[in-house]
Amino acid sequence: MNSQLKGLAAPGSEITVRNPNARHNLAVGIFENCSIRFEGSVGYYAASLLDGPEVVIEGNAGWAVGDNLMSGKITVAKDAGASAGSTMRGGQLVIGGDAGARAGISMKGGTLIIGGNAGFLTGFMMQKGRIIICGDAGEALGDSMYEGAIYVAGTIASLGADATTEEMSEDELIDILSLLESQGITGQRTFTKVVSAKRLYHYDSLERLEKSAL
Amino acid sequence: MCGVSGILHKNPDTSGSLPLVGDQLIRMLEPITHRGRDSSGVTIVGERTEGDLLVRIWASDARESAAVLARAEDTVRRAGGVVCSGAQTGQFLRLEVNYEGETAELAAALLDTPGVALHSIGHTSEVIKDVGVPSAMEQRHGVGAIRGTHGIGHVRMATESRVDVNHAQPFWAYPFPDVSVVHNGQLTNYHKLRRMYESRGHHFQTGNDSELIAAYLADKLAQGEGLDAALRASLDDLDGTFTYLVATRDGLGYAKDQWSAKPLVTMETADVIAIASEEIALRGILSPDMAGQEIDRVEPQKSEVMTWLL
Repeated sequence: MNSQLKGLAAPGSEITVRNPNARHNLAVGIFENCSIRFEGSVGYYAASLLDGPEVVIEGNAGWAVGDNLMSGKITVAKDAGASAGSTMRGGQLVIGGDAGARAGISMKGGTLIIGGNAGFLTGFMMQKGRIIICGDAGEALGDSMYEGAIYVAGTIASLGADATTEEMSEDELIDILSLLESQGITGQRTFTKVVSAKRLYHYDSLERLEKSAL
Repeated sequence: MCGVSGILHKNPDTSGSLPLVGDQLIRMLEPITHRGRDSSGVTIVGERTEGDLLVRIWASDARESAAVLARAEDTVRRAGGVVCSGAQTGQFLRLEVNYEGETAELAAALLDTPGVALHSIGHTSEVIKDVGVPSAMEQRHGVGAIRGTHGIGHVRMATESRVDVNHAQPFWAYPFPDVSVVHNGQLTNYHKLRRMYESRGHHFQTGNDSELIAAYLADKLAQGEGLDAALRASLDDLDGTFTYLVATRDGLGYAKDQWSAKPLVTMETADVIAIASEEIALRGILSPDMAGQEIDRVEPQKSEVMTWLL
């Protein structure tokens, strides 16, 4: 099916997949600005390694939906399994329902929106980008994160190692509210912003290339 | 990596024919054979049998299997059992036995019988496991035709121990009739706990770390703990990664570790509880008219336990 999808993917094309039946690795490695719609649930690694397409999943997604997303937009109508948006670098991933454990693990850019609740270790080791959680966040939120920010509308079960809360500016709040409104998500008015406390930063020894540059 | 699945029928027709649990378990395992292809197995519970006990035995040496299986039958008789029926499939023996003594004594006598591997003893259940994928197991053992009320299944990708019939899953919780487990994960305190249970007299039949969970639950049940409490205690006592399912005579349960490291999804309808590593497995039991439709599945998070009783 993936080779068929790749064949159909061209700038502006619209592709519909009926009865995906929660199969794995669907719509992987597509670099065209096309749109792909799945009428049902998908399995693991759906819509991963994408650069450009707009993908709509009308059911649930399994583990690691949107893995390594570069650009484009992925929308999951219902719940996502663990590791949604793992290592994503750009673009938007919107989960309408709940996300499993480790959403946004090691993400390096882009925006991950979770309409429902987020699981254990969300934003683990994230390095850039932002995660917006409209429901509650599970334990160890933002554990060992380097950079980036996590915004939570609901409660936070616990912060992870080296994660801390920070005041957010009015501009940030307006930006987030307008972004959510564009997704049809309304009702949230306040957020808790979570960032890295950077107490685990120990960059006192330089890399080889850094040394040679001095 | 391994795959697990389980099913329980909440309202089985006790007077009419029972659901084809064997067929349903195979249909839930086939779609997840990418999680493991070296061995597969099922426990089917709630079977209607002639005897008090169902005994499943495997003779490890193919050349001596006839002699070993004859010895096993002889052991059952000497322990006071009456064999109502026996069926041999290759190196496997399935006995229906009338037996009024302690199951532990019969189990110990069978384990002392040279060449005998004891896969399960149950009042209404049996563990059927083999090397190869589920469809091959189905063909060889006729699993698809077995009716019951609930059961669990496993596809294995061996990581820590050898590939053979004994090391396949499910593992029976010797000596408790009808209690067995399937496990996806790795236990890092296996050797420590195994030594502890061996010092208490528990007999391990394999080097598979998953067998430890069966021993663990057997130990807890022997101390009088309920299934739910035993599963909850295991979240602290077992170290490593695990999602495991357990079947008992009248129940089904799962436990998922504190790292949320191994997948699990569950689905509940008016009649059925279905649990599996992946949604694609749950979809294996949908009726054809449901195939294109969405299902309400739930993904348990970390440190979670759930049990259902018939």
